[in-house]
Amino acid sequence: MATTLIRRAMSMTSRVSSSTVAPALRLVVTRPYASEAEAEKGDAATTNMKTFQIYRWNPDNPSKPQLQDYKIDLKECGPMVLDALIKIKNEIDPSLTFRRSCREGICGSCAMNINGCNGLACLTKIESGSSETTITPLPHMFVIKDLVVDMTNFYNQYKSIEPWLKRKNPPPTAGKEIPQSKKDRAKLDGMYECILCACCSTSCPSYWWNPESYLGPAALLHANRWISDSRDEYTKERLEAINDEFKLYRCHTILNCARACPKGLNPGKQITHIKQLQLLGSA
Amino acid sequence: MGASKGQKLSGLQKQVLSLYRGFLRAARSKPCEDRCQIESIVSAEFRRNSKQVDRKNFFYIEYLLRRGKKQLDQLKSPDTMGLSSLNVSSSQKQNAKT
Amino acid sequence: MALRAAVLRHIRVPVRTLAATGSKPQLQWSLCNSIRLFSSDDDHLTKEEVIDRVLDVVKSFPKVDPSKVTPHVHFQNDLGLDSLDNVEIVMALEEEFKLEIPDKEADKIDSCNLAIAYIYNHPMAG
Repeated sequence: MATTLIRRAMSMTSRVSSSTVAPALRLVVTRPYASEAEAEKGDAATTNMKTFQIYRWNPDNPSKPQLQDYKIDLKECGPMVLDALIKIKNEIDPSLTFRRSCREGICGSCAMNINGCNGLACLTKIESGSSETTITPLPHMFVIKDLVVDMTNFYNQYKSIEPWLKRKNPPPTAGKEIPQSKKDRAKLDGMYECILCACCSTSCPSYWWNPESYLGPAALLHANRWISDSRDEYTKERLEAINDEFKLYRCHTILNCARACPKGLNPGKQITHIKQLQLLGSA
Repeated sequence: MGASKGQKLSGLQKQVLSLYRGFLRAARSKPCEDRCQIESIVSAEFRRNSKQVDRKNFFYIEYLLRRGKKQLDQLKSPDTMGLSSLNVSSSQKQNAKT
Repeated sequence: MALRAAVLRHIRVPVRTLAATGSKPQLQWSLCNSIRLFSSDDDHLTKEEVIDRVLDVVKSFPKVDPSKVTPHVHFQNDLGLDSLDNVEIVMALEEEFKLEIPDKEADKIDSCNLAIAYIYNHPMAG
């Protein structure tokens, strides 16, 4: 635990970065909002400055992690936190490092801790008002650089639940798909939507204390997704594989997972479902 | 981390030495020529870090250990032929890359 | 000399396996013998042989002054090596004697004396 404590022991620096950027550059980088920004230019002094405190750590310059302040004008920025991050990277500090891809909440790359809550930067609105917004990496994860964390353990846990269809019998019609009724398909709702962003697992105190031995809400949600799949024929084996004091039963229904999920899923509920099946199986 | 001189090893030092041993073991499984190259790169990297890295900077040493373990896993794969290193001039850092 | 030792080992093996078949618990041993037919675990290396070969390995280490090497020398205190060199020497010894020394043991071996004792007492040293 000492490591995590050190990891989060950040000192504050307020290196206020100037946001006065050449207008030409501004037009280039704020593509979708350029016209809007142009229009606003008529009204003098209608800037809306906002400070972002962002966790910085660079392995090539091995000093302590720091929170760095960036001030940007919200009038010239898109509405989401990811827009702000991209604006900062483009206009103020190209060394700022974070993962992003789809910018519409389907890839799960930009998961981070924003003002103390885990979420996707692309789905989190920038809080209006003058208060600062603090952005740090997903909690209790090893940092690779700035907001980028090491997902190896998380992905290995996902892999360990064998997230694919497993069959003992050939499909009803050889060479064709295995049909599923609408009712059976509906059982997967609330699970198939998971994009493995790790917001839930990294918000779970139980997962913080046992990140290696406890599978965490995301992996368990996916375990239940395959356990509940009418086409899968390894339900019993899957249940046995996770019927473990640590892998499954470190879930103490704290339900931070449901609070954190940017897709509005409830991993805690799915874990409870697994626990119920375990009880039925052993009865 | 500083290569120690005959004193009791700390837990972190043991991890570093264990990683070094792991690399040398993995090198044994490669063809002779690659093996020599791997050994010289790995040895240079560890020695450079042992001199440059502040031995109290646990945060960074742990980061290097995790990175090293990842690189070692990659090196262990039979598909990996060898190691090469690349000089990043801007930061004057040498990175061992698989 | 080496040839003679190899021939001797070869000849001795059948006798051993015969003796082993008598009692069940030893079956595994005989299996072990037949796999490692040409290494000398069926008969221990002599202490002199271990000492000679350990010293040879240490002397051939590039950073070591061969004239300083004695069976009682401490790698780091007497030969001016660091802990990374120490790892390299122990790894070289592993190869010389066809052993794999676990980390826990390897961390303790910091002198010729300890290396000789460990290898001499190791049943698989060859």
